Amino acid sequence: MSTEITLEARKTRRRSSRRGGGPKRVPWLLAAPGVALVIAYFVAVGAGAWYSFTDWNGVGHARWIGFQNFRQIFSDHATRGALWHTLELAFAFVVLVNAIGLALALGLNKAVKSRNLLRSLFFAPVVLSPLAVAFVWQYIFDQQGALNWFLRTIGEPGWQRPWLGSPTWALWTILVVMVWQFSGLTMVLYLAGLQGVPDELLEAAAVDGATTGRRFWRVTLPLLAPAVTVAATLTLIIGLRVFDQVLALTAGGPVDASETLGTQVYKQTFVLGHYGYGAALALVLTSLVAVMAVAQTVILRRREAVI
Amino acid sequence: MLFRYTHRTVAREFVLIATALVFCIPLYLLLTMSLKTTSEVYTAPLSLPKSLNFSSYSNAWKNAGPSGMGHALFVSATMTVGSVVCLIAIGSLTAYTLARRTGRMSTFLYLLFLIGIILPFQLGMIPLYVVMRDVGLTGTVFGMIVLYTGMLMPLTVFLYTGFIRVLPRAYEEAAQVDGANLRRTYTRVVFPLLRPVTGTVAVLTGIIIWNDFFLPLVFLSGTNNEPIPVALYSFVGNYVSQWNVIFAAVAISVLPILIFYLFAQRELIRGFAGGIRG
Amino acid sequence: MTDIRFEGVGKVYPDGTRAVSDLNLNIGEGEFTVLVGPSGCGKTTALRMIAGLEEVSEGRIWIGGDEVNDVEPRKRDVAMVFQNYALYPHMTVFDNIAFPLQNRRMPKPEVRSRVEHAASVLGLTELLQRRPKTLSGGQRQRVAMGRAIVRQPRAFLMDEPLSNLDANLRVQMRAEIARLQRDLAVTTVYVTHDQVEAMTMGSRIAVMRKGVLQHEGPPQDLYDRPANLFVATFIGSPAMNLMRARLESIDGRLTCFVGDQQFELAAELLRAKPHLEAYRGRDVALGVRPEHIGPTVAGRPQLRGVVQLVESLGSERLVHVEIAAEPVLTDEILELKRDIDEAAVQTLQQGHDEHKVLLIARFSPEATTSAGEPVAICLNAQRLHFFDLTTGEALH
Repeated sequence: MSTEITLEARKTRRRSSRRGGGPKRVPWLLAAPGVALVIAYFVAVGAGAWYSFTDWNGVGHARWIGFQNFRQIFSDHATRGALWHTLELAFAFVVLVNAIGLALALGLNKAVKSRNLLRSLFFAPVVLSPLAVAFVWQYIFDQQGALNWFLRTIGEPGWQRPWLGSPTWALWTILVVMVWQFSGLTMVLYLAGLQGVPDELLEAAAVDGATTGRRFWRVTLPLLAPAVTVAATLTLIIGLRVFDQVLALTAGGPVDASETLGTQVYKQTFVLGHYGYGAALALVLTSLVAVMAVAQTVILRRREAVI
Repeated sequence: MLFRYTHRTVAREFVLIATALVFCIPLYLLLTMSLKTTSEVYTAPLSLPKSLNFSSYSNAWKNAGPSGMGHALFVSATMTVGSVVCLIAIGSLTAYTLARRTGRMSTFLYLLFLIGIILPFQLGMIPLYVVMRDVGLTGTVFGMIVLYTGMLMPLTVFLYTGFIRVLPRAYEEAAQVDGANLRRTYTRVVFPLLRPVTGTVAVLTGIIIWNDFFLPLVFLSGTNNEPIPVALYSFVGNYVSQWNVIFAAVAISVLPILIFYLFAQRELIRGFAGGIRG
Repeated sequence: MTDIRFEGVGKVYPDGTRAVSDLNLNIGEGEFTVLVGPSGCGKTTALRMIAGLEEVSEGRIWIGGDEVNDVEPRKRDVAMVFQNYALYPHMTVFDNIAFPLQNRRMPKPEVRSRVEHAASVLGLTELLQRRPKTLSGGQRQRVAMGRAIVRQPRAFLMDEPLSNLDANLRVQMRAEIARLQRDLAVTTVYVTHDQVEAMTMGSRIAVMRKGVLQHEGPPQDLYDRPANLFVATFIGSPAMNLMRARLESIDGRLTCFVGDQQFELAAELLRAKPHLEAYRGRDVALGVRPEHIGPTVAGRPQLRGVVQLVESLGSERLVHVEIAAEPVLTDEILELKRDIDEAAVQTLQQGHDEHKVLLIARFSPEATTSAGEPVAICLNAQRLHFFDLTTGEALH
C-alpha cells in the first residue's frame, strides 16, 4: 500500500471512467428508427392541432381563424349533437360492458364444466372486425329483420320499431352492438383479476357470516379495483372512438341522430373537404379521450389506494 | 367448500349456457342466412336453411372489392404481415435500447411512447393524409405499412420494454464474456428470449391492423388495393338488403380470423389479459 | 503466462456507493485464488471487473501482462461461470457450449470436436441435445463449466457456482472443480461466501470485507496467523473463541488477566510476538481456537468455568464452557453475528451485561465432562492470538 501506487491510482481514475472497459452499452442508434417514427407521429398530431385553428380545405393556403372552428362545433346542430351522442354512448357503453363482463366473469369463475368453451365463445367477437359485426346486427335491427320478426312471433307486434331509422333508437342500437362485441373483453380482464381474489378470503367471510351479496361488495369488488381501472379505461377509450359500427349501422342517421365525433371527423374532412374544421373536431375528440381517461384513472387509482 | 358441484352449480351452468346460446344468435344467423335463398331470408329468418345454397358465397367472392374477395384477402394479408414484421423488428430494437439504458433520456423517451399510445390517430391523420397524398403514397399498400408501423409503434415498444426490463442481464453478460458482439448478442441470445412478448405483439397488432377500417377507408377506398373491411363495406352498399349475399360476404371476411382464433385462443386470451394489464 | 493483477483498484457506483477500495492483489499463473467474504464485501464486484462487466473506477487491472481497463469483455479471453449459470434456455446443451466458439467464427468441424471433447471430460455426452430446463442442478453446472473450458481461455472466473446446489452435491462438485482446475492448469479466480469452500479449494485465499482486502495468503496462513479480528473469526468453524483480556506486568513478567483469573505468558510466546510488550497495562482481545483448548495439563495457562453444553460428534466432543469474562464487541464481530441471526447478537450483548463469555473447546471423545459441572480448561500457550481492540489488527 505504498504512496506511489495510490498516486498512480488517482491519475488513472479519470481515464478509466471514460473508455469502454465496462460492459458494452447499447448504442442509441438502434432506437433511432423507432424514435424517429414516434416523433413523426407527434409532429403529425401537432400539425393536426395547428390545422384546427385554420380554415384549410386540403389544398392551397390555410388561413388562421383562431377559435372559430371550435365555436362552430358548439353552435352547429349536427356537431354539437355528435359531441353529445359520443358522450352518452361512451358512458352507457362503459357501464354496461363492464357490468356484463363482470357478471360473466363471476359466473365462469367457479368450476363450471364448460368453462373454457364458454370463455372462448364469449371472447370470440372481440377479435372480429367491428364492421363485420355491425353488418350482422344491421340485419337484426332492420325493419324486416330478426328482432321485429321475433317480436311479431311472440305476440307483441306493437313493440316493433324501425330501430335503425328511428331518431330515438338509432344511437342505442349502436350501443347494443358494442356491448355484444366487447363484453368478452371485460370478462377476460375480470377473470384475470379474480385470480387475485383468494378463495380463502371468501371462505373466511362466509364463516364470518357474510351473505353472497356482502361478500361480493365488501371483499371481491374492492380486490378487483386494479382490474376495474384497466377495464374501465380501456372501454372508455374504445367507446369514445367508435366509428366502424356507426357507419355500418346508421351512417350517422337518421338526420344526424346517431352521429358521433368519430364519424363527424371523417365526414367533415374527407367527404366535405373541411380539413380545418375536421381537425378541430379531431382535437376535441383527442382532448376528450385524454382528459377523461386520465381523470378516470386518477379517480379509480385513488380508490385502489384506499383499499 | 363453497365450490362443490352442487345443484347450485348446475343452475349456474344452465343459466350461463342459456346466456351463451342467446349470445350466439348473431353468429348463428350469420351462418344460416348466408346459405339461404332470397325468399327464405324473409319468410323464415330463424330456422335452418332448407338446403345449402352456396350461390351467395360465389357471388360475394367474385364481386366484393374491385377485384374480388381473393384480392382483398391478399391485400389485407400483405398489409398485416408487412406491418407486423416492421413493428417487431424496429420495436424490439427500440425497446431493447430503452430498457437497457438507464438515465433521463431513456425515461423521457419511454414516456413519449406511453403518451403515444393514448393519442387517438384521427388528429394526426389529417396532416399525414396530405403528406402521403403529395408524396404519392396514398392508395399503396406500402404507404399503409408505414402508417401502421408508426401508429402502433408506441404500443409495441411499451410491451417489449416492460418485458425486457425484467429479463435477467446475466444472459447478455455471459454472451459478452463468451465473445459475442452486440449483433450476435441480440440476434442469438436476446431476441429468441423475447418470444412470448413477440407473440403477444404479433397477435395484438395483427388483429388491430387486419380489422382496421378507418385508415383503409381514407387512404385506399376506390383504389385497386382495398383490404377486406373496405371491400366488405362497398359490397354491402351495393347489395343493400340482400341479406343472404351480404352475410356470405361477412362470413368470408371473418373466416380467416375465426380460423386463427380457433388455433390460438388460449394464447390470445392470455395475451390480451396480460398485455393490456401491463 | 496468465497472471492477474489488481493495482490500486477501486469501484464506486454512480450513486456514490463504494464497492471496492484500493485493492492490490497478485494472482499468479495457474493458481486457484478464492475471494471470500460476507455478502456485500466486494468480491463479486472485483471478479466482474476482471471480466469487464463492471468498469474500473480507480486503479488498473492486468491480465497476462496486458492492461485491460479499456478492453471490452469479449476481447479479454476470460471465461466466466455465473452464479445462476446463465445457460441460454432456448439453445441445446451442444449449442450452449458451442456458442463461444461460434462467436469466433470457428469452422464447424472444429467446433464439433471441441464441444464433444469438453462434453466427454465433464460427462455430458448423452445430454448434448437436451435443453437446460430439463437438466438437474448439477448437470447445468457442468454445462456452464463446459462453456467455459471449451474456449481454452486465459483464466476462469467463477461466481459462487456451487451456492445453488444441495449440500452433498456441493461437496462432490468442489472436488471435481478443484481436480479440473489442476488438470487444465488455468489461472482461476473463485468467489464464494463459504469459508469452508475457500479453505478446501484455494491455493490462496483473499478475505474481503466492505470492499477492503483483509488478508491474502495460503489457507493455512490465514488460519494460523490471521491478520485481524475479522479474518480470525471468519475463517474456521467453529469460530475462534474471543474474550477481552488485560496485559499487566507483574514482577517484570507479562501476565494476562481474563476476568478475575490470570496466567503468565510464556517466554516463547513473548519472543514470537514482541509487539505485545507495547500493550502493557492495556486491554486486548485474546483469541484461541477450539482445538487449542483442552482438559488441564500441568504447566499450561488455566481458566475455570462451568460447562453449559456438551455436543458429542463421535470423533470429538464440543464442550461449551462459560467463564467470567468480557466478550469482544467490535464492529466486525457484531457484523458477523448479525449475518447469522439477530439472536446471536442478543446473546453477545447479554454476555456483555452479565460478564460472561461462552468458549467452545474441542475435547477428545473420551472426555467425561458433563453439563453443569465446574471445570478447569487449559489453553495452548503457543497458540494464543492477540488483537488490538480498536483496529482489530493482530499483534505479532
